[in-house]
Amino acid sequence: MTFWIILWKITLIAGLTIFAFMAVWVTIGGYFDIKRLFARITESHRQEEP
Amino acid sequence: MENAAEALSQTNFTRLDWAIVIIYPTISLVIGVLVRKYIRNMHDFVCAGHSLGTCLGIATLTGTELGLITVMYSAQKGFVGGFAAFHIALVACIATFMVGATGFLVYRLRAMKVMTIPEFYERRFGRKTRILGGLMMAFGGILNMGLFLKVGSMFIVGITGLSQESWALPAVMTFLLSLVLIYTVLGGMISVVIADYVQFVVLSFGLLLTTGLAIHNLGWNHIWTTIETTMGREGFDPTIAGGEFGVEYIVWMGFVGLASCALWPTAVARALSAESPQTVKKQYMWASVSFLIRFLIPYFWGICAFVFIMTQEPQLKELFFPAATGVEPFIDLYAMPIFLGRILPAGIIGIISAGMIAAFMSTNDSYLLCWSSVLTQDVIAPICNEKLSSKARVLLTRILIVVIGLYLLAWGWLYQGSLDIWDYMAVTGAIYFAGAFALLVGGLYWKRASSTGAVLALLGGTTALLGLGPVQQLVGISMPSARVSLFSVALTVVAMIAGSLLFPDKKKDRPEPAQTT
Repeated sequence: MTFWIILWKITLIAGLTIFAFMAVWVTIGGYFDIKRLFARITESHRQEEP
Repeated sequence: MENAAEALSQTNFTRLDWAIVIIYPTISLVIGVLVRKYIRNMHDFVCAGHSLGTCLGIATLTGTELGLITVMYSAQKGFVGGFAAFHIALVACIATFMVGATGFLVYRLRAMKVMTIPEFYERRFGRKTRILGGLMMAFGGILNMGLFLKVGSMFIVGITGLSQESWALPAVMTFLLSLVLIYTVLGGMISVVIADYVQFVVLSFGLLLTTGLAIHNLGWNHIWTTIETTMGREGFDPTIAGGEFGVEYIVWMGFVGLASCALWPTAVARALSAESPQTVKKQYMWASVSFLIRFLIPYFWGICAFVFIMTQEPQLKELFFPAATGVEPFIDLYAMPIFLGRILPAGIIGIISAGMIAAFMSTNDSYLLCWSSVLTQDVIAPICNEKLSSKARVLLTRILIVVIGLYLLAWGWLYQGSLDIWDYMAVTGAIYFAGAFALLVGGLYWKRASSTGAVLALLGGTTALLGLGPVQQLVGISMPSARVSLFSVALTVVAMIAGSLLFPDKKKDRPEPAQTT
């Protein structure tokens, strides 16, 4: 049982730590991605217009 | 009885929290209206113009797959199975990372620039396969999301201390459904990805904060020792035969982990909306962390709810684990929201609840958009010989979104079956993904895969229905749902191979498998 307890403790702590870093990165990067998304769609609509 | 009602109505939810909960979805609605101007055709509506970057892709993939329903059924598993439930999170993480590292299925699909999986079916196996595949997908998927509305509403009702009020559940269900329908019908995929992003930001920080508060409240060591003393080895070791899980269950979870990231249409839709096939791989490798967390944290909350009820709240213990024989225990789905309602301070509960409503919205809008666009693009449009205009398709998709939404409301009110939500979802999902696995692997990686093999594999997927309790009672069998589902997967693979070898396509009709780099 000790093996499982250690495994789940490592999984929980490592998971939470990595997720905390990823949350910050995705929050910042996602904001710039949204700006780029709207710019691209606007550009493609402009190209489609006769 | 009065004690029970009193125990269930205790919560730290205040007027401030109600204000947060109401303001947040209103802002989402405004965003939905604002982005409407960007929708000009079906391409924008379904795939956001193939313009998702890596971070937005991760946010939207996480937002879709980390729904309120996920939080609820995972907390239920943690409440019942203890830390042993963590294995589901771990295998899901490994499966998603492997898909990202190898590009298995998703890379080639994105490289083909298809909008939906059934569209791939048509390119590879012909139109009839597309229509049948679309129908199977929509059937399995709509059945799968049948309890989303009810279970999501149970969270709101539980955390606000309204679980004893008979009017509360239907009222919250109607309110949430109206919100999601307006939002999805207005904006399509573009508003969906924006909602997913906002949800990711609110919920990811909310999840971490709540977990910290739960540990602070109960004590790190106390949580582990309570599970050890109450559940024993079964609370940690998922391989114990006859326990909550077992080896067969773990194997099944491995396949479900693969299916939920590489076969499940709402997840694949993100891959197909990515700006390039390379982005897809990066997106999946990073999202594997989200696929771990989306289960892990709610399991932990369920475990904490169990510890809280067993050690600190004798009234709740009597409700959820009645000592007297013949007394029905209270529905265990309510344990986690009631626990959060007790430990989170005012203000924080509002933010968490708003985050959960956001999670509910982002999952439901993605699913509604997915199944309605599958029915439009892959069933109705091919039947009409592709004569539908882009505007007509958008209109039809919007109508179908409303129809499916009304079904959710009706199913939530009428369904009286077992509420082991995760197993219900895995089985109903298998109706679609057992067949889809054979079709995608065969179609993308095996030149000789034929349309007859594809049709047989799709039909073979319907055997997964035997995993549902009411269906087993009807046909007079009793078998674990994990075994039935694994059998269905094996059957579809055999059907694909045998059908393709016995009834090969004529050479001139046989398209080549997708090319990749």
